[in-house]
Amino acid sequence: MLAFLRFERQRLFHEKKNLIFLIFIVLFSLYFVWSGLNEYRQFQVEKKIFIKFEKEKISQFTNYVQYGTFGFRLLYETSPLNLFFVNSGVLQDVESNIDTFETIKVESSFKGKKLFIKRGYFKDFAGIPFIFGSLFMLYLGNLALVSPAHIRFMMGRLPLKKYYALTTLARLFWLNLFFILFGLSLFLLVQAGGVRFSKSESNMFMLYLLFMVVLLDFFYLLGQLTAVLVRFRKIFFLWLFIVWFICIFLLPEISRISVFNKSSALDSAEKVNLEKFRVLMDMEKRFRDYLKEKPTIPLDQIRQLQKKFAVNFLNNSYLQNMGRESKYLREVGKVISGHEWQSVLFPTTFYYFLSGEASGKGYYGYLDFMDYIMKLRNRFIQFYMQKRYEANDAVVESFVKGDENIFHSRSQLPNTYWIGLLAAIFYAVAFFVLAYWQLRRLVYPS
Amino acid sequence: MITLKNLSLEHGDFYLSAVSLQVRSGEIYFLLNRQSLSNDFLFNVLSGFRAPAGGEIFYDDCRQVQAERLLPAAFIDKIVDVTDFETEARIGDWIDFLCRGGDLRRENVLQTLMVLNFNEINLRKKVRDLTPEIFRQVYLALCLAPDVPNVVINDFSKGTEKSLEMKFNKLLWQKKAAGRAILYLSNDIIYAAEIADRVGFIKNGHLLFEADAVDIKDMDIKDLYYKFLN
Repeated sequence: MLAFLRFERQRLFHEKKNLIFLIFIVLFSLYFVWSGLNEYRQFQVEKKIFIKFEKEKISQFTNYVQYGTFGFRLLYETSPLNLFFVNSGVLQDVESNIDTFETIKVESSFKGKKLFIKRGYFKDFAGIPFIFGSLFMLYLGNLALVSPAHIRFMMGRLPLKKYYALTTLARLFWLNLFFILFGLSLFLLVQAGGVRFSKSESNMFMLYLLFMVVLLDFFYLLGQLTAVLVRFRKIFFLWLFIVWFICIFLLPEISRISVFNKSSALDSAEKVNLEKFRVLMDMEKRFRDYLKEKPTIPLDQIRQLQKKFAVNFLNNSYLQNMGRESKYLREVGKVISGHEWQSVLFPTTFYYFLSGEASGKGYYGYLDFMDYIMKLRNRFIQFYMQKRYEANDAVVESFVKGDENIFHSRSQLPNTYWIGLLAAIFYAVAFFVLAYWQLRRLVYPS
Repeated sequence: MITLKNLSLEHGDFYLSAVSLQVRSGEIYFLLNRQSLSNDFLFNVLSGFRAPAGGEIFYDDCRQVQAERLLPAAFIDKIVDVTDFETEARIGDWIDFLCRGGDLRRENVLQTLMVLNFNEINLRKKVRDLTPEIFRQVYLALCLAPDVPNVVINDFSKGTEKSLEMKFNKLLWQKKAAGRAILYLSNDIIYAAEIADRVGFIKNGHLLFEADAVDIKDMDIKDLYYKFLN
């Protein structure tokens, strides 16, 4: 084994083009991690401005009606781990407004600097090993066994099984070692740059790294299998590219289209909003009709009546609307869960899902955000009702006491992580065995 | 000693019907056959990569079966394309690896390289940086390195430069002197007459004619060529 390790190290790391490719991967990743770190720092600065602005905004309100109408903004803050995945999230930079209106708004701002942040195209740490690392591993898998003539020559010295297994293991050992050290170095480098990760975030990153390495091994073994399947022909590079394109772009795109089609069965958000609006308007109409029936009611009683109607609304119609929103979220959750299970079926689709969740801006991050908005709005409306009708227009007190207006999204591991990992390992092992079986047929034709 | 007992093969137009022959220790036997592709096929059978239709092959007392086990024989194939051996490693590293992982004796490799006048600067080069002739020297040194009593060669010297061919002949004679049984598959009757001890001609699937090389020299080679190899 030692001889194989030594030889494969020389084959991999004494080859100029391999080194250039590896350096390219390292430099690009470094650049994107640095850019992610900058974005993280920028966000921290903007967060401070946001908190300050929100505090100032409250002091401008003269009564609770204004406060209820304008509400306050809720900022979506991802975990620091997001700097490795800035372009892998499902959500972009989002915020919401908590007020007494019926519609829940989640929106992205494109004002000022944010206009110039162009997202997408794998421009983050997670994207570089995925795009370039996979291509590189596919290529190295292709070169591993050299040619049938070389295999036959080697078989004069070693049995095929031993040669095949040890060559594969030795090459994967060095390549995995490289990618693990590379990932860990970047992680430590970011910490040296002043970012602190919690224990769960560190564990999350390690598990992400584990999946990334398994994914790259999957590509290596796929490259090896493809080389054997096309009998080491020189036109192989075309096949290599086709296989790579299918795995990296086509299958994830099919998965995305599939989830989009499934999501079309959901009611549109506008429909849900409209239903909620109708319920609200019903209440308004009843109040107006009541006032029409009794036009002589004094003003102070109207205020009491308003409160009565509002409490009645909170206890009935508002709960109905909350139920509608929760039901809608549950339906969205079902689509997400279906998409998650579908992603598990192939390593590249799962990698997309995993890096989305690891970014803290994935599908489950969205569900957590919506859940947080609903709970916070509930509390805000209770606060508003109490202050609106009982505070007698005293100075407007802020609902936000601590950092309630910051939603701390966590990087999370999908529940299917271990199944996804096992599926990727299964594929890799299947490719390893299939390539050996096909190689035997090639070396020992019947 | 290499023994073929009733060896039968079938591969496209080429076939062998119950060919039996024996190559004794310290003997160079040339098996001449018109078609180069047929020799390739026969070499694959002899080296265990293809199963014969019938019959048996023995290397000393070891019966060759199509299985993953090492035989007491060295197999030297012709090199069609040097890039087939491009491992991206330096030649010296490749030799090191084969000596450690493939249990070759380094002194045997170096000894052969010395006979071939191999320049050690080439050990630092990769296959793609070597001329085909120099790579053939390395290949030959590695193939001949195991201490095995039998050698099977598939037209190795065909297309090589005269200087390498002469060094190769020298190596074959050395091996012969060391008591190796050497079976050489070729279609070059002139080369056979030059270095073989015995020559066998295959035509229409049969081993039609066997003769000592000394006798062949006395025969009309052109006539033999037209009779068996054309």
